[in-house]
Amino acid sequence: MAREIIRAENLTIGYGSRVLLQNVSFSVAQSEIVVILGGSGSGKSSLMKHVIGLYAPLAGDILIEGKSIVNAFGPERAALQRKLGIMYQSGGLFGSMSVLENVRFPLDEFTDMPDEAKNLTARMQLDMVAMTEAQDLMPAELSGGMLKRAAIARAMALGSDILMLDEPSAGLDPITAANLDQTILSLRDLLGFTFVVVTHELQSIFAIADRALMLDGHARGIVAEGKPAELRDNSADTRVRQFFNRLPDARAEMAA
Amino acid sequence: MSTLPQDARSTILVPGRLTAASIAPVWQRATQVLARNPDRAVIVDASELEYADASGIALLFHLLTLKRSHGAEISIRNLRPKVDAILKRFDARLAQNTHAASSSPPIVERIGQAVVQNLREAALRVQFVGKAVAALAASIVRPGRMRWGQIVALIEAAGADALPIVALVGFLMGVIIAFEIGNVARQFGAVLYVVNGVGIGLLRELAPLMTAIVFAGRSGAAFAAEIGTQKVNDELSALTTFGLDPAAYLVVPRLIASLIAVPLLAVVADIAGLVGGALVMLRFDVSFTQFYYQLVSAAHVGDVVIGIAKAAAFGVLVAGIGCERGLATGIGAAAVGLSATRAVVASIVVVVAADGIFAVLLDRIGL
Repeated sequence: MAREIIRAENLTIGYGSRVLLQNVSFSVAQSEIVVILGGSGSGKSSLMKHVIGLYAPLAGDILIEGKSIVNAFGPERAALQRKLGIMYQSGGLFGSMSVLENVRFPLDEFTDMPDEAKNLTARMQLDMVAMTEAQDLMPAELSGGMLKRAAIARAMALGSDILMLDEPSAGLDPITAANLDQTILSLRDLLGFTFVVVTHELQSIFAIADRALMLDGHARGIVAEGKPAELRDNSADTRVRQFFNRLPDARAEMAA
Repeated sequence: MSTLPQDARSTILVPGRLTAASIAPVWQRATQVLARNPDRAVIVDASELEYADASGIALLFHLLTLKRSHGAEISIRNLRPKVDAILKRFDARLAQNTHAASSSPPIVERIGQAVVQNLREAALRVQFVGKAVAALAASIVRPGRMRWGQIVALIEAAGADALPIVALVGFLMGVIIAFEIGNVARQFGAVLYVVNGVGIGLLRELAPLMTAIVFAGRSGAAFAAEIGTQKVNDELSALTTFGLDPAAYLVVPRLIASLIAVPLLAVVADIAGLVGGALVMLRFDVSFTQFYYQLVSAAHVGDVVIGIAKAAAFGVLVAGIGCERGLATGIGAAAVGLSATRAVVASIVVVVAADGIFAVLLDRIGL
């Protein structure tokens, strides 16, 4: 069993009195690609924002490499958060900086590396996501796929080897999405990165996921967990089979 | 430890972990070792290296691709196959040109570019004025097509919501000029004539000018930011593809709203300023009744009308500049802020210049 990187224990999350997920537990091992999936509004993005410590859970705990991010404050929490590289749904690149400056930004802020070293590191990170050509462009000048790849490059910047990607392939054409999947796989295979990917793009899930966690808004929790192909073919739950086979509600009822 | 029989002075020892947080001293030491051994082969001993993040890979890549003279090559020893495989993925050309392109073109070229840029913008501005006037004329011809609901909302935001601040500024202007002129006039026993100064100064000049400046800060900036954000969000493109002219659709309601709101605000500033002036005049033993009769004999209806007309003109200028800056917004969130700033600065300059032109013209025609 590989080293455990992220562990959620009996997590209950929600906003105010509205509970989204109740008593959710899961773990992510080193160099594993775990996909969190589920219908719109099932709490996928909220779960991710809690895991990275942006919001406090209503109950339960989240451990990053064995340390609780829920009970860590100030510099301690910041140190835990720096272990995680995050790609936000809309990229979150800083609009006033070029692509290269965006990727170099965490290095500028947190290290004493010489300029030459920072530039080379940033350029190599951009090369990993095939973005060297675009290094001097501003975020507003990038296409959707380029924006997401630049955001992944920035997420890696501080040597974070745990990458959390929120809907990386949403809104991308099939070729760009497939290239992105390939980038994720090669980063894992070559550099041993750990990935938590929030998505509901079926093809992307089958291409990259070692394990899938399926959330459901009604059940307020994880309704299925396992290899995507097995869930598709063998799940006892109608909703899970429906999701993986992309069936509308009526046909699923007939099949059941 | 290293098993190499190598002189320590020409060896770079790589630690067990190479991460962004800890790499700075390693990189510096490597640079020092290379500088100290310009014509000697340098060995990089990576036998202890267990983990390298992107910055660590970058250091190894840098050492691997560095151009050195013959006989002074750098060789990396005992590198783990996995790290080696990662390094081989990168193209050696990446190492060149690591200094971000910051070379700016020569001064002559930059001046030329700036001139061309300014001329283009000036042309666009002329074009905008023409378009806006045409659109305004078209909507006056067919007032039924006008979206009065939007105009009322704009009047509320740009006019009604600005009442407290305009009243406050007007009141303070009245207080200040009455006080300043009063102190001087008292020395000559001409206290009563302070009312002439306060009345005419406020009604003709200060009330419209201050109202226009407040309006530029509140609404001119808001127009530029609103329209700029709409442009950034492709809303303007959506309007164009519906066959609507953004200039007509967005600019005309704002021009009309300003034409109505700013003169009304100027009237409020007039009243607040006169109240402020009258209160200060009590200190110089001029009663409210005396103030009233002196004011009526000194200032005419014409002065009030001129002030209001000027306010209307300033309002249209400020709204037009705000909309024009909004439509000319570049790309990105920063561009919106820049447009708002430019709108306020340009508005104030243009309003003050226009006030000067009004003063000359009114003097020529004897008003």
